[in-house]
Amino acid sequence: MTSWFDHTINGLIIGNIYALLAVGLALIFGVSRLINFAHGSVYVVGAYVGWVAVSVLETPFPVTLLIVVAFTGLLGIVIERFGIRPLADAPRIAPLLATIGLSFVLDQTVQILFSPDPRAVPMQVPNWRINIGGGSIGVLDLLIGGIGITAATALFAFLKLTKWGWAVRATALDRDAARAMGVDVDQVNRIVFAIASALGGVGGVLVGMYYNVITPTMGFEATLKGIVSEVVGGVGNVPGAIVGSLLLGLVESYGVALLGTSYRNLFAFVLLIAILVLRPNGLFASRRQLPPEPMTGTFVAPSKPVNLPVPLVAAAAAVAIALPLLIDSGYLIQTLTNAWLYALLGLSLTLVAGTSGQVSLGHAALLAIGGYTSALLASNLGWPVWLTLLIGGFAAAGIGTLLVSPAFRLRGHYVSIATLGIGEIVALVILNWESVTRGPIGVAGIPPLSLFGYDLYDTNAIYWFAFALMALLALLQLRLLSSHLGRTLRAVRDDDIAARSFGIGLNRYKGLAFAFGGFFAGISGAFTAHMYSFINHETFNTQISVLALTIAILGGMGNVGGAILGAVALIGLPEIFRVAAEYRILLYGIALLLLVRFRPQGLLGTV
Amino acid sequence: MITRRTLLQSGTAALALASAGSALVQAGGALAQEATGEPIFLGVSGPLTGPNAQYGAQWKQGFDLALDQINSSGGIKGRPLRYIFEDTQSDPKQTVAVAQKFVADKRIVAELGDFSSPASMAASPIYQRAGLLQFGLTNSHPDFTKTGDFIWSNSVSQADEQPLNAAYAVKRIGFKRIAVLHLNTDWGRTSKDHFVAAAKALGAEIVATEGYLPEEKDFRSTLVRVRDANPDGLFLVSYYADAALIARQTRQTGLTVPIAATSSIYSPKLIELGGDAAEGIFTASRFFPEDPRPEVQNFVTSFKAKYGKEPDAFNSYAYDTVILFGQVLREAPNYERKTIRDTLASIKDVPSVIYGKASFDTQTRRVLGARNAELIVKGGRFQLWDGKAIN
Repeated sequence: MTSWFDHTINGLIIGNIYALLAVGLALIFGVSRLINFAHGSVYVVGAYVGWVAVSVLETPFPVTLLIVVAFTGLLGIVIERFGIRPLADAPRIAPLLATIGLSFVLDQTVQILFSPDPRAVPMQVPNWRINIGGGSIGVLDLLIGGIGITAATALFAFLKLTKWGWAVRATALDRDAARAMGVDVDQVNRIVFAIASALGGVGGVLVGMYYNVITPTMGFEATLKGIVSEVVGGVGNVPGAIVGSLLLGLVESYGVALLGTSYRNLFAFVLLIAILVLRPNGLFASRRQLPPEPMTGTFVAPSKPVNLPVPLVAAAAAVAIALPLLIDSGYLIQTLTNAWLYALLGLSLTLVAGTSGQVSLGHAALLAIGGYTSALLASNLGWPVWLTLLIGGFAAAGIGTLLVSPAFRLRGHYVSIATLGIGEIVALVILNWESVTRGPIGVAGIPPLSLFGYDLYDTNAIYWFAFALMALLALLQLRLLSSHLGRTLRAVRDDDIAARSFGIGLNRYKGLAFAFGGFFAGISGAFTAHMYSFINHETFNTQISVLALTIAILGGMGNVGGAILGAVALIGLPEIFRVAAEYRILLYGIALLLLVRFRPQGLLGTV
Repeated sequence: MITRRTLLQSGTAALALASAGSALVQAGGALAQEATGEPIFLGVSGPLTGPNAQYGAQWKQGFDLALDQINSSGGIKGRPLRYIFEDTQSDPKQTVAVAQKFVADKRIVAELGDFSSPASMAASPIYQRAGLLQFGLTNSHPDFTKTGDFIWSNSVSQADEQPLNAAYAVKRIGFKRIAVLHLNTDWGRTSKDHFVAAAKALGAEIVATEGYLPEEKDFRSTLVRVRDANPDGLFLVSYYADAALIARQTRQTGLTVPIAATSSIYSPKLIELGGDAAEGIFTASRFFPEDPRPEVQNFVTSFKAKYGKEPDAFNSYAYDTVILFGQVLREAPNYERKTIRDTLASIKDVPSVIYGKASFDTQTRRVLGARNAELIVKGGRFQLWDGKAIN
């Protein structure tokens, strides 16, 4: 019995820590309707500013906190002014990409300034401990809880009682109406970003002291858990975010107690999906509340796509085919092979996210399903690789559609959050289902690609094979988009209520989009597995899902040519920036921000 | 025409001159033969950005120190040894591209890296087909060298190391009921399996095994679960940062049993991050700065002189690897890629910080044998354990 008490205490302690981030995320989402992927990076900046204050300036604890609040609050204002505000009139997907670019820039800047080594943050509060159950809690636990609850209460009061609070809530409800009533919407956003970022920064330094370790890369995982907590509590609901965090902590703790440590995150993401399916507005949403996403889809705003003349495309394809004969550079050919494989992934996502409006953040899972299916069939059963490639594609289509089907009733950002969760669940199942997937040891010695009984070892042959597959599937997708099916999918995206009143079965068409997309991605994953010869649960990680979305947005949502161009750009840029050594990912992030800033509708425009 | 190559050469020459000058001053006019001439290049594929960037940075320190020593004492038959480090973030799609780049670059005689298994092993087929030696510094995955006869590693095989750890924990420290916490990665999992098998063979009971993800920071729930299994010792298959976190939280959850860990936790950072909680942690390290062997003392003093801090395990792997290649290249009759591979296969008893003397098993393409120093953290530093039982 005491153990259950201890597990409860432990769940509350870690939930306490999640709350520090969830509150800020909830505030920003509530007002800007934006999943702020840069929030975890602000938390990292806060931790390092705190480290400088404590270790270099040797400030006392209250001064440390003040410095962190001032610095990260200011950072929030800068992010809002230069990263988010210029995109106010852009499609709502553009700011999401901007926050991803910002997180690259912030994380890399911290890493360059402070080196990637983990650092210890000296504890500045007395190390008194209170025994409770079989374990103990410290002053810092209470302080973190206190700061979380105080911040939430203060925010709640601010939102309910002050004039600026009303303005914030009015902006959250309807930005245009608020502006029409004379609310300075920009000022509201500035306040929100400053408060949320300051809270995130304080979270960073407190968590740094709590664990006595900070690293420049700790932000992503923190953002992930913050998002889950926020959704559980109800997006945009500040007190709800705290309860959601505590609940998440408890579920994880009990999950570990029941099944063991390696199932911990599985419990977290299953909780996320359960909440999204059963109570998509969070635990505390009242029934009267407006649907949190607009009734008609402005999520992916149509724009005038760039019309590529057919001769130009044909010439580009001819150059791509002839390239290995013209230039003897295995490096270039390999990079382009990677680009074609990511173009397949981009095609898949641009169909699902761009054409049918289901913005998926878990697309790496489809690669993993395709890759594992093909690798295991070819190495365990000795089936020919061309066949297993196809089966990999169908497996990703089938399993992927089935997994994502509970999310069909969701809209807008909720689809992204749900697919993010489903992607994590797939990776964790691969890690834990050892009898089939060999767990962390992975699948080694995967047979090479082969065609008509000939093994493809040659870099150029692999290149042509990848290009041919990509070109073929791109043509298929073009054909699809100009058919009845393509028009229907766009109708679902643009206005699902109107589409439904015309008698379109939404779930079926969403299912069809995921099936086609899954097939493309599955083929790409299977091809990759055979090319690499080794895969494990880390090969297809969340970063790849983020990259896939970046490709689709950058190219232009729903745009076939755009997905290919986006893949070439995003696989090529880090290689081009190679001369910049440690600075290259920073440059990549800046390039991404500039592209979003000046082409928010994507390079070739939304179709 | 000024090309990148001539620039590199002139830069190298200038550097060589400058360091030759200082070496002469330091040696007080003693014979210090500085390498000049056309450099010989190793290619390095590793993480300088991304989540594993810290390990790439540690490699670099080890490499640079070894190169200083090799090049200030005559280099490779008068030619300086250099490396070209390409950042891959330990991301497979970048390691395959870098592999193509290295394969095509005729100056490169052998390749080192990458860091993680998925990243390293994705590139192996390319190196194998091109006949360029891929040498894994940290690749303990049991299948790493199996891609072909150009894939080699001096990373200690866990099948060799873990029985030594088990003997230390069970026979010497006296653990009878062991709870194992391990990183749920290919390395952690392989190590755990070997440790558990060896510990059971020595008569100990394994009362709990818990695998955790590399990003994990909260271990309290895990430790309560472990506490309920009533162990008399914890064994960690961890890196130093997670080991420090686990040690701190062990005491917070009211678990008081002693902790032992794999050699991978050996780093001054363990003590910095773990604070008081690091006191009393046992580890059997292959590398220990107070080891009196001359190669170790040379490494430790020159590392401290260059970087102003103590080296850790990853620094020592990187240093050892470049020292090994210095020897291989000096003995090689020519600098053909195949010759380098053949020389590596035939080389015997290279002085090594990790192994004492390193030789390769040409069947497994790994280094034979493993040795351990039995250490304990005491008074804020690693010390040789005096053998006194503590429970």
